[in-house]
Order: sequence, then C-alpha cells, then structure tokens
Amino acid sequence: MSESVILVKNREVVVPGQPLAKGRFKLGKDVYRDDSGVIRAKKLGLADIKEDTVSVVPLSGVYIPKEGDIVIGIVSRISGSTIIVDIRSPYQGVIPIPRGRATERVDMRKYNLKLGDVILAKVKAFDGSSSLLLTIDMEGLGKLEGGYILEVEPAKVPRVIGKRQSMLTILKEKTKSDIIVGNNGRIWVRSPSLKELLALEKALRKIEAESHVSGLSDRVSSFLTQELSD
Amino acid sequence: MFESEMLTHNLLKEYVKDLVSKGQRIDGRGFQEYRPIEVREGTFTKAEGEAWIKLGNTQVLVGVKADVGEPFPDTPDKGVLVSNTELLPLASPTFEPGPPNENAIEVARVVDRAIRSADAVDMSSLVIIEGKLVYMLFLDMYVLDYDGNLEDALTVASLIALGRAEIPKVEVKDDGEIEVKEEKWKVNLKDLPINFTFVKIGDQLLLDPVLEEEQVSDAAITLAIDKEGRVCSIQKKHGKFTMEEILNAATIARSKWPEIAEKIREAI
Amino acid sequence: MPLYVEKKPEVLITEDGVRTDGRKPHEMRPVRMTVGILDKADGSAFIEWGGNKILAAVFGPREVHPKHLVLPDKALVRTRYNMAPFSTPERKRPGPDRRSVELSKVIREALKPAIFVENYPGSVIDIFIEVLRSDAGTRVAGVNAASLALANAGIAMRGLVAACAVGRVGNFVVCDPNHDEDMWGDADMPMAMLMEAEEITLLQTDGPMTDEQFREALKLGRNAIRFLYEMQKEALKRPYRVVERSVRGVV
Repeated sequence: MSESVILVKNREVVVPGQPLAKGRFKLGKDVYRDDSGVIRAKKLGLADIKEDTVSVVPLSGVYIPKEGDIVIGIVSRISGSTIIVDIRSPYQGVIPIPRGRATERVDMRKYNLKLGDVILAKVKAFDGSSSLLLTIDMEGLGKLEGGYILEVEPAKVPRVIGKRQSMLTILKEKTKSDIIVGNNGRIWVRSPSLKELLALEKALRKIEAESHVSGLSDRVSSFLTQELSD
Repeated sequence: MFESEMLTHNLLKEYVKDLVSKGQRIDGRGFQEYRPIEVREGTFTKAEGEAWIKLGNTQVLVGVKADVGEPFPDTPDKGVLVSNTELLPLASPTFEPGPPNENAIEVARVVDRAIRSADAVDMSSLVIIEGKLVYMLFLDMYVLDYDGNLEDALTVASLIALGRAEIPKVEVKDDGEIEVKEEKWKVNLKDLPINFTFVKIGDQLLLDPVLEEEQVSDAAITLAIDKEGRVCSIQKKHGKFTMEEILNAATIARSKWPEIAEKIREAI
Repeated sequence: MPLYVEKKPEVLITEDGVRTDGRKPHEMRPVRMTVGILDKADGSAFIEWGGNKILAAVFGPREVHPKHLVLPDKALVRTRYNMAPFSTPERKRPGPDRRSVELSKVIREALKPAIFVENYPGSVIDIFIEVLRSDAGTRVAGVNAASLALANAGIAMRGLVAACAVGRVGNFVVCDPNHDEDMWGDADMPMAMLMEAEEITLLQTDGPMTDEQFREALKLGRNAIRFLYEMQKEALKRPYRVVERSVRGVV
C-alpha cells in the first residue's frame, strides 16, 4: 500500500499515539512510525505538516538541552575545577574552570561566581544522557546582574520570541523592559517598575495559554497596551 | 519555608528585597493583603467534613473523619482530636514520599495548636461515656500544591471541614453494645482561631507569603487569633524578631481576622 | 471501632442482569476527566468515576536522587499509588501498606511500555496517584489519570494507556464493578491497554472464569477501554478548544 494519506489538519491538537499520516513521509520532530508504517505523534502538541515532513510541536515538556542553545542557569555548586549549573532540566550543566595556559585566553573575571548567581550560558556539548558542557566565554555571556527571572514552559519559548523576534520586540517595547530569553524557559527581565513587570508576567501567561490560536501577536500587543494604559 | 531544599537564585533575593524597600511585593499585593481564597465546590472524599481550598496557587484538602474509642487517660472527660499533615510529593518538586518529616509534623502541630488553644472544638461534647468511650476526630491535612503559606491555608480548610462535619451518632445500649445510629450531629465549633503567617524581609513584615517570599525571607512567624482578638498560639519559625515586630504582627493579624473569618463562615 | 458497617446486599444481580446500582451488565459508571489541575507538578489530571475521586501528577523527566539509581540509557520510572486517610468510610492509616505497594508496581508496569524511556536517559519520571475518595476500580482509574498526567507533562509516549475493570457476578460478566460487586462478586479483572494498537499492559484477576466468560470479559473490557480512550483524548484537547473559543469570542 503506497498511498500517502494525511490524517490530521495542520496545527490540529493531537495526543500521543494519534495517527498523523500514512505512507511516504519524512519523520520530523516528536513523531514515530509504528510497525504498520503509520506515523504517530509522540507528544501532546500541534500537528505540523510541511510538504513531506510530519512533525509535532509539543505544547509542554521539560527542557532537553541542545548544542548551541542559550540558557539561563543558576550556579548550584562550585568545586575547585568546575561550576555546576542548574538549567531547569533533568541534566545539570558543567562549566570547567580554566587552569594554566587556558586562563590567558579567557576573561577570568567571569569565573568569579558565587552560589545562586544567575548566568547566561551557551550549551557547548551534550552527550544526551549525562555530560552537559556549558560555556560563558563568549561576548555577552556570564553573570547577569540586577533584574528578575521569570519562567515559561520551555515548549513555548519559540512563541515568546516569535518569527524574526516579532513577539519579543512587542514585549520589550510595550513594557519598556530589557528581556533575554533562554531556550530553557527562563527569562531575564529588567523593567522600569513593578507595574511593567506584572504586565509582562501576565502577557507571558497569555502566550502560554493561547499559543495554539493564531493572531497571538496582535492580542498580546493590545493586551499590553490596555494593561499599561493608565 | 524549607530553606535548604530549594535552590534560590541571588536575583530573586535582591529583587524581592528591593521591591519591599519600595513598599511592593513581586505579585503586586500590599504587605497585609491575602491572596484570593477559593473554596472548591463539591465532595471529594469520604470524610465526615471536608474542604478543598486554594490560597493563590497553594491548594490543600482537609478531611475530618470520626471514630469512637477510649479517651486519653489524663483527660477522661474530653474527646480526642488527632491532627496529621501529609506534604504530598505531588505538591512540590521538593517533597519526597515517606513518613511526615519535621516540616510536616510542625505544620500539623501548629494548626492543631490553634484549634486546641482556642478551645474551638468543644471537646467535652465529644464524650459518650466519660472515661470509657469518646468520639475521636481525625483531622487529615493533605497538601496538594505548594506555593507558600501552608499553615494559614490548612487552618482555614480545617476550620471549614470541622464546621461542616456531620458525624453519625453513637449510643451505648443497656447491655453495653455500641450502636451507630442514622442520625448525624454537627461538631460544635465555638471559635475560629485563624493562623496568620508573616515573613520578615529587610525590616518589613509581609502577610501570607508566596513561595518565593518564604524562600528569601529572613524570618517567619505564625500567630493564631481567636474571635475575641486574643493571641492564642504562636510559632516562630526561622530567624529572629524584635518584640515590637511581633506585637505589630499581632495587631495586623487581629485586624485581618474578620475578613478571613467571614470566608470561613460562608463556606460552612 | 468502625462507624460504618458493611452489609452484603441480598441480591447482587437480578436474573435480568440488573445490578445493585441499577446498571445493566455492560454499562459503565459516569466518568469525568480534567487535566492540568495542579500548578507545581509538570503534568496532572483528575478523574471522577462513579464515587472515585483520584488525582494523578507527574514530575519529570528530572534529575535522579539518589544518584545510584540512575539508568544510563533510559529514564527510570517510579510510581506511587496512595490512598488518603479520608478516602474510605473507615479512616485508613496514612502511609503505604502491602496493597498500595503492589498496586504501585502494577500501575507502573501498565504505563512504562507507553513511555519512550530511551528518550530521557539518566533521568527519572515520577508518577503519583492519590486516591482522595475510593469507590471500586481505583487502580484502573489511577492508570487513566496517570496517562493523562504524562501526556499533560509533555512526555514522549507511544500512546495513551486506558484502563477498566471487568467482573463476574454469578453467570454475568459485568463492566466496571461497583463496590458491592468488588467486595462480594465472583471475579474482578482490572485491565489496561496501550492504545491504539490495543496491547494489554495491565491484567490481573482474582476469581475463576470459564474460557467463555474470560473471552467475554476481555472483549467487554476492551470495548470499555476504547470508550475511555476517547474520553482521555477529549480531556487532553478540551482546554485548548476552550481557550480557542474564548479568544475567538472576544475577537
């Protein structure tokens, strides 16, 4: 049977195990092919059918690190040679403290960290199960000072950023805040006052709740205008 | 609340302290403002009296179950009240399965102490045969979702559960046999001793701390106020207070009593 | 001393197949499922089935403590089934007893085949089931709720696991035994299936059935499970539909 059939609408909410398509399709993210060749969803999410690739965009789920991701972490342990960082994931991040010659190539001031410090780091390497290497050596990475940390579902981070940063721009402009979004669902924010921060928090909850309904950017924009109008 | 167990970050401490110095809290509340209290509609247990309440995002379920048995030897003219708290592992990533730890036990005893010290339940009305047979009330407090301030939430839920409790009447026949009747009687709730929990951040007292406030607080204290405005039980948790701060807390708690008492009465 | 004394009903099922709660043999009690009821858990669900009120919550995948339990190539799955002291007419002492330890294991074995544990090596997925109110069939209700909680938590699964118990009362094979049938019936057979391939992941029984009765019971269970599976799907999709409708309504 070589017929190719799509069994769901694009952006339809699907549950784990739900059949999405039969036949000649490429497997995208969070889907699997069962023994009879049917492509099924692995997670609760939105069906994403693009040309010949079938994927699911999950609506929730814990953060699993990927190389190249930017994450906001909390220093949870410091030993002589490593800094252990909590990145809100089942996997702890490790930053080796440079020694010897290596100290000449980096800005060692960055490594002057305390327990509980919040840092912006990049995922350098991850073996998938136990060893997660982070780095703070690049420009812009390192300890974050001031501001506050908000959290969103990691699965919703792409919506918080938006296509070409469109949503993030709306959030920044409307709330006049500095915002850095970590792929791990942590967001560093510096707002002019509590009023803007509370409005931003509400906007993030709105994005989380309504991410599956199109037109989100406009709604968030009007929401923030209203929220901050007086 | 359970300091060593949760990883807090330094920005949280700094930010919360900074806001407090400006008279603000991270969720926009006033220093003496409670989060919204919601009593869930419906029956969720086989308790004689129950209450499932939300205090902000904290959710607790309390059930009162009755049994009959012997009174404690030193109080033959009083019924028995046993309080137990379970910090369910599903309520927080930091709660582990197992028997109640020191935090669970402390919370249970703080709630129990408020009820007992104010004599809220008429314990002598629980006697069937003095010295031999009394009603035993089990107050089982289940924490379902932990977002700060368990004591206050559990006390409110416990008072509602006690106020709602309908207990089968037990009679002793002439031949000594115990008979359980169809008829039910309600617990006589003579008072509403309400717990008010404050945390100290900087030198300010904040009522009804949310989880983050508990985590960065310098000190915490819970006071129970009865319907006459008297302080009937106190538990200082971590940290230290000046006498003035404690008196101030008591004054604030007294002024908030009517508001919370009203919510409890409505629910009963 | 118990304040509630159980009395065995005179007739468990009439000749016409009418049960103590008025149901026919193939009828299920009313069921209602809701997801996302807890804030701190990664995933949660609440099921009301007959008089059962059961809460399920999932944390994970998360870091394993103590570390020596780590499985390097897949997630560790832990399950705790627990009954609240106020879940039964007579108060139940808090803490695990032998029955809840066994049920915890049986439920874990029902759910594990559904989870892509290889996707989360070195981590743990914790499943908690709390029976707030018990009314026969708590383990299958727990499985249904736990499946929802796992999906709600965004965990990769082959499919949802749906469960239902079937019993035998006299010559009748009955669907979803009630309390009387559970106590005084002749057999009780809880079942769970991994949908949509309908592979059995939980099966226990505690009373004799002829080959014919056994086949009928399996079929009856499977049909009930199919129905419950549809309810699970609806429960997972419902919050999104509700939001969509309210958003569109405002716009």
